[in-house]
Amino acid sequence: MSALPNRRVEDWKYTDLRNAIEGEAVASAPVARWSVTLSGTVEQNELPEIMARGTHGEMGTVAAAHAKSGIFLHVGKGEQGTVHLELSNAGHGRALIVVEEGASLTLRETMSVGDFSNIAIEIVAGPNAQLHHIREANADGESVRVSDYSIRIAQGATYRAHFADFGAKLSRTELHIALEGEGAEVHLSGVSVLGDGGHADVTTRVTHSAGNAQSTQLFKLIAGGKSRGVYQGKVSVAEGANGSDSRQTAKGLLLGERAEIDLKPELEILADDVKCAHGAAIGDLDPESLFYLRSRGVAEPEARALLMRAFLEDAVAEITDEDIRAEVWSHVEAALAELTA
Amino acid sequence: MLEIEGLHVAVSGKEILKGLSLSIAAGEVHAIMGPNGSGKSTLSYVLAGREGYEIISGSIRYRGEDLAAMAPEERAAKGVFLAMQYPVEIPGVTTMNFLKTALNAQRRARGEKDIDALGVLRLVREKAKALHISEEMLKRALNVGFSGGEKKRLEILQMALFEPALAILDETDSGLDIDALKVVADGVNGLRSSERAMLVITHYQRLLNHIVPDRVHVLYGGRIIKEGGKELAHELEAKGYAEIIREAA
Amino acid sequence: MAALETREQVAALGEKYKYGFVTDIEMERAPKGLSEDTVRFISAKKGEPEWMLEWRLGAYRRWRQMREPTWARVHYDPIDYENAYYYAAPKSAADGPKSLDEIDPKLIETYNKLGIPLNEQMLLAGVAVDAVFDSVSVATTFKEKLSEAGVIFCPISEAIRDYPELVKKYLGSVVPVTDNFFATLNSAVFSDGSFVYVPKGVRCPMELSTYFRINAQGTGQFERTLIIADEGSYVSYLEGCTAPKRDENQLHAAVVELVALEGAEIKYSTVQNWYPGDEEGKGGIYNFVTKRGDCRGARSKISWTQVETGSAITWKYPSCLLRGDDSVGEFYSIAIANHFQQADTGTKMHHLGKNTRSRIISKGISAGQAQNTYRGLVSVHPRAANARNYTQCDSLLIGGKCGAHTVPYIESRNKSARIEHEATTSKIAEDQLFYCLQRGIPQEEAVALIVNGFCREVLQQLPMEFAVEAQKLVGISLEGSVG
Repeated sequence: MSALPNRRVEDWKYTDLRNAIEGEAVASAPVARWSVTLSGTVEQNELPEIMARGTHGEMGTVAAAHAKSGIFLHVGKGEQGTVHLELSNAGHGRALIVVEEGASLTLRETMSVGDFSNIAIEIVAGPNAQLHHIREANADGESVRVSDYSIRIAQGATYRAHFADFGAKLSRTELHIALEGEGAEVHLSGVSVLGDGGHADVTTRVTHSAGNAQSTQLFKLIAGGKSRGVYQGKVSVAEGANGSDSRQTAKGLLLGERAEIDLKPELEILADDVKCAHGAAIGDLDPESLFYLRSRGVAEPEARALLMRAFLEDAVAEITDEDIRAEVWSHVEAALAELTA
Repeated sequence: MLEIEGLHVAVSGKEILKGLSLSIAAGEVHAIMGPNGSGKSTLSYVLAGREGYEIISGSIRYRGEDLAAMAPEERAAKGVFLAMQYPVEIPGVTTMNFLKTALNAQRRARGEKDIDALGVLRLVREKAKALHISEEMLKRALNVGFSGGEKKRLEILQMALFEPALAILDETDSGLDIDALKVVADGVNGLRSSERAMLVITHYQRLLNHIVPDRVHVLYGGRIIKEGGKELAHELEAKGYAEIIREAA
Repeated sequence: MAALETREQVAALGEKYKYGFVTDIEMERAPKGLSEDTVRFISAKKGEPEWMLEWRLGAYRRWRQMREPTWARVHYDPIDYENAYYYAAPKSAADGPKSLDEIDPKLIETYNKLGIPLNEQMLLAGVAVDAVFDSVSVATTFKEKLSEAGVIFCPISEAIRDYPELVKKYLGSVVPVTDNFFATLNSAVFSDGSFVYVPKGVRCPMELSTYFRINAQGTGQFERTLIIADEGSYVSYLEGCTAPKRDENQLHAAVVELVALEGAEIKYSTVQNWYPGDEEGKGGIYNFVTKRGDCRGARSKISWTQVETGSAITWKYPSCLLRGDDSVGEFYSIAIANHFQQADTGTKMHHLGKNTRSRIISKGISAGQAQNTYRGLVSVHPRAANARNYTQCDSLLIGGKCGAHTVPYIESRNKSARIEHEATTSKIAEDQLFYCLQRGIPQEEAVALIVNGFCREVLQQLPMEFAVEAQKLVGISLEGSVG
């Protein structure tokens, strides 16, 4: 393969893969495996052969080339189900998930391995399908992990996803999302809570190919110690995609003396009848709020923890499945406790 | 002044006005009353020439001319004024600048000379006083951050400034408390004249206690279903729309 | 009031680009193409000292190894750098005019057409003008009054001769010779531009102004401006640009360097109205400009205000290096792109010192088939404790064939810094337009009125006489954008 993505490549400006891993290690990585738990009406099959579909980034293409096999999950028309994918063997992995017309799926992803993983996942949501996707990436200062999603959303379908990342030596989550039919919706949210040495990069590309579709993005980053949090969010509205509605918010809380947060919220608009807005902010905890709490008798460490939780709250609240939300929240709490310790 | 005959109007393919006929002479004040969704706002927009209001059939004659053939700004220059239910905010454009721009645009279209900045200021000041509109308000961006009452008063100020031949007041009472309503009604009454026709569109009878109409029309389902004198408004208030509609059916 | 004037203006002109005339003046040119000889020719023409020639040659050699940048969102056919003239001067001015009386009357006529009052009215207006016609400065007015205050305002070619120490110290100190392709090219072949030095504690007694005009065919313009505000001084500088209508594309690659020492303030305003090309996208200026200000001293301030309505292509990022503690950078921008214009413009705010503050207000308007990109960087260095930035970036679309793009980079490496960024994109609101029409304001005037309102925050930053001009330009540039 050619040189690994590095900071000279615009899309990888804040995440230098070449610095984090040898090209040889990438080339010789094995095929990844998942342990899969299914409920409801979900069929699981081997991906018979590499099918190059969807839009992937550089590393997604590399994963597709290396993973000779993968998994294929299918939810039939009008059916319902849940899937839990736990990454159990690191390496190049590939999955295809198809949710047919009117079907619904809750997809949960976790990982129990470190080392190098490079996963390409393709998701197809049929007309009026409902997909709820939650991915958690645990803190692991040694591992290098790249996930590349290609997601196509048909008319009337909704894709709702949350990405909780607790930092790795290098962690890159890349989403390529196309709203392909009228009334399609995508709602992305995420939290990155990074302790010393952690890195997490979430890069989203949402394209409004059809009109009257809606997209929202809400990402919150906390960077402590010597860590780096990155969010790059690009929203494109294609020519003629009138009635597009897009809102994006990205906020960073910089807590470490040697931490860095980089935000790049980008708009590319080629239709005029649109409503698009983004807001981005980076700062420390609000001193006035801190003072207010302390004046009411809350000790400083507790007050800080309270404000950090408040900062992340609305992003985690985007997870609609109560049980999963509670579990993610408990992991967020643990990460915060570590940060403030 | 205004002759509407058999007017059918559709908005995004859906027929809203279904054969409306109405005739207003100079010096008269007519009220159009109707429940929500009866087509009141559609009527006001089609008279002002808003895009997206398609005339399927029927005619609108204004002072003997075909009103529908005119561009919105042409109608304005020829004396058609619509006081809007929701006056629009235009950030960065001061109210005074807007008034001057509009007044002179209308004058120019009529082949009249521009009035200079000082002249316009004098004119506006004179009319603003009665409507309790402050200098400070005129310096702010048009309707931006104005209260509901301020917006409606500014609409009436414009009506006074432009001296239209036909004034259409669309739900001018909505969002006003009783004091504000009185200020607005006084402003409107002060503009009643034998040369001017007014069409007051409202849901409630309340406004008509202050602006007493010569004729009242009940609009329902895109048609006038009942007409009468000012007492019809009181009848409506007493019986409610449902009963009048039943009677008319 | 602006809108009214716009309408009158448009009616009176009967054409879209009022600056599109050509002045028929005998020109002296360097041979076509770019080589060390061209550089030597320019340097010799200017009677430059050896050190300046060496500086230029160094830049030229470096440029030969550089590649034209491609990251901006602009597309154009490759520029043939060998097929252009790099120096053109009005022949009669070759000996250098000593006063206004010595200037070719045709030039004066040109300036009158441009609406620059290059006469006693100027004194009343309190503006000193350095006019750069193609490549040379032809007149600097009110030298005496300025020199009384100790302010130096002269063509840069003159400064190289008369103030070599100042030039040596500051030229290339903000935009290094090797900075980027276009800046390096400029360093090799710049032919003139303005030089300003405001001494310690002096408040420049009048607005300084330069009017740039490209006149000759097949000529690039490479002016170089250097402004130094010494400790505790203040200067406001205005820059205007126009060019004739031509079918060919002409290159304009300027460099502007600002240096603000401790407690100094520089306000730099631009109304850029280079010929944008015709309605089919033919012709127009390629405007590749490097502008950078260095807040070198504590409590210094640099404020950029730009109204960009012209040029076929604009590639321009007036930036601030906030090095001094408590220094302030500002960027106020209106960029209008109509027909086939392409603009990629924005700013960079580098927060290096403590308590540095920056503010970015950008208003982009796209119409016709134009592409308009805001590209901006806010970067907070680890040392920049308590840095503050506020950015507001709004785009307006008129019609469904144009594009509006927003590419902000926000990078913070100091925990006490605060950065806020807001951006919106929408079309010109139909209800606002209808409201204006209902009150009798015709469509084009209504659009001009609404767009001027949208831009108000930026227009307010301009000195009065420029603000009026800019408001008119907004209306004129958007002509024919609504059907």
